[in-house]
Amino acid sequence: MVSLELLAQQFVNGLFFGGQLALIAIGLTLIWGVARVLNFSHGAMFMVGGFVGYYTLGATGSVLLASVLAVVVVFALGYVIEHSLLEPMRDREEFDIASMVVTLGLAIFLENAILVGVGSQRKSFPLLTDVVWNVAGLTISAQRLVIFVISLVALGLLFLVITGTKLGLAIRAVSQDSDTALLMGVRPKRVYSITFGASAALAGLAGVLLAPMFSVYPSVGWYPFLLAFIVVMVGGLGSVRGTLVAALGLAVVRSISMIWIASETAMMVLFAIMVGVLVVNPDGIGGWLDG
Amino acid sequence: MTGSTLGRSLGRARKRLLEDARGRNGRLLAVGTALALLAPLALTAYALDIVMQLFVAILVVGSWIFVAGYFGMFTFAHAALYGVGAYAAVLLVAEAGVNPIASILLGGVVAGLFSLPIAYPVLRLSGAYVGMVTLAYAEIIYRATILLREITGGPTGYTGFPHLFDGDSVAMYYFVLFVVAALMLVMYVLLVNRFGLVARAIRESPDAARMLGNDVSRHKLIGFVVGSSIAGVAGALQAYSILIISPPMLEIERMIEFMAMGIIGGLRTLSGGVFGVVVVFGLNELLRDYGEMRLVVWGAMLVVVTLYFPDGIADSDFDVRERLAGGDVPVRERIREAIGR
Repeated sequence: MVSLELLAQQFVNGLFFGGQLALIAIGLTLIWGVARVLNFSHGAMFMVGGFVGYYTLGATGSVLLASVLAVVVVFALGYVIEHSLLEPMRDREEFDIASMVVTLGLAIFLENAILVGVGSQRKSFPLLTDVVWNVAGLTISAQRLVIFVISLVALGLLFLVITGTKLGLAIRAVSQDSDTALLMGVRPKRVYSITFGASAALAGLAGVLLAPMFSVYPSVGWYPFLLAFIVVMVGGLGSVRGTLVAALGLAVVRSISMIWIASETAMMVLFAIMVGVLVVNPDGIGGWLDG
Repeated sequence: MTGSTLGRSLGRARKRLLEDARGRNGRLLAVGTALALLAPLALTAYALDIVMQLFVAILVVGSWIFVAGYFGMFTFAHAALYGVGAYAAVLLVAEAGVNPIASILLGGVVAGLFSLPIAYPVLRLSGAYVGMVTLAYAEIIYRATILLREITGGPTGYTGFPHLFDGDSVAMYYFVLFVVAALMLVMYVLLVNRFGLVARAIRESPDAARMLGNDVSRHKLIGFVVGSSIAGVAGALQAYSILIISPPMLEIERMIEFMAMGIIGGLRTLSGGVFGVVVVFGLNELLRDYGEMRLVVWGAMLVVVTLYFPDGIADSDFDVRERLAGGDVPVRERIREAIGR
């Protein structure tokens, strides 16, 4: 018999993990929603963020500086990638497949270029704090709580930008109808590049924040990418709200199911859920939430 | 298919084959065939092994192009089904005492059966969504081969194979060559006939194809299952030629490798796939001592080819001599065009 404490503990762990997952997944959903790109290099952006953070931390000792620099560098990288690789193909009929292949090629290129450059050994990243609280029988690590809060703040900022600023208005306009937006004086190309940069920057930030748990190495991005991939499919590609709900929900399901089954099996269950959702409704749960 | 339509199909395929054979691709094919037939005279057992794996890769990539290039169903499940074919063939021999040669064919049948659960959702989806749902299915199969260790041997894989042809590597070589050539021919015949035309019509516009009276779902289903079954046969051939199967055979990395070959060569023709396999294999051998460097090169190639050569480097106007001579070179034109835009 599973004790109530264990269930509650797994629930909390799942919720925390869901916040981290949302940080990675929302970038993925954003860039699909706005620019119709299924970005296979999202995991590579996570990895680059981790490396920038790792070296900055080594040189300066400041986690804050490491995070800020990772966000800035990965934003710039994302902007350049969109502008130079994806923009030239935009008018192609099979743009969604072509962009998938290009970003996949880019991910292989980045991962292995870094592998050749610095080797495959895992670089460990120090914990911000090793404080652990005991609340009503639950173990809560301060580190995870801080990351959860930072994730929510970053996502909150993103929401504010999208709903409350001129740039956000332009992003929403382009995602709905880029031709009409162009007529209204919005430059869709700029918007695509900025959105891609912002999406990548979220992954880069996650790369630094999660580095203490995942450590830093060239192929570190694939597992978070796969999880985020499942989350956005279930949440509905392009739906920020659906993705947030799916991230929290799936992370809790995964966490609780791991009381009984191994993590490999849990991953299979998640993939099966994803196939099921896609078969029933390709728009995911976001289709209901936004509709 | 009735006797007379079959006869007509074959006649048409023969005519196309003869037309092709008069062209440059035909001469390349003739030279390639001659080299493949004579290879055992000149090559060591080790080199022969590599060539055998090249043939298997040609079959997998060819069957992927059959599905992804002609129908536009961009599947990520092909490597997983190739692995299913390998495991099925070997387990049928070990557990059910099936004849090894027959098991290779049965491996294809089992892979075809495994493709069915995902085939139905794929029929209703388009573009990147096909990629997503097949990627998920491939991951499920991959993880299942690791988890079901009583059946599959788990992460370390499965050995204990029967040797085909008493371990005679030259006989094995000719057998692989024969099976690969035969199945490539089957796909070729299908594709130069009405079936292939409908496939391309579906790729360009499913609605238009439907309005012209074609059963789009049935064509896509047949295309997906046939392509997947052939990948399964290729997996079985690979299993018997390297005598071990393990989960990495089904991993997404393998899929990406096959995709890279197909895309670099060109998704619009089977010969493009063959060309891509030869190029990537050659590259891998050249860069053998540089480890991960070859993956850097590949990643870059995938990006460059998709950007500047949407139909691959072996598209219909491919001509080695023209390109080497540097005269009126299509490559340069394309690059100029791309940069100008």
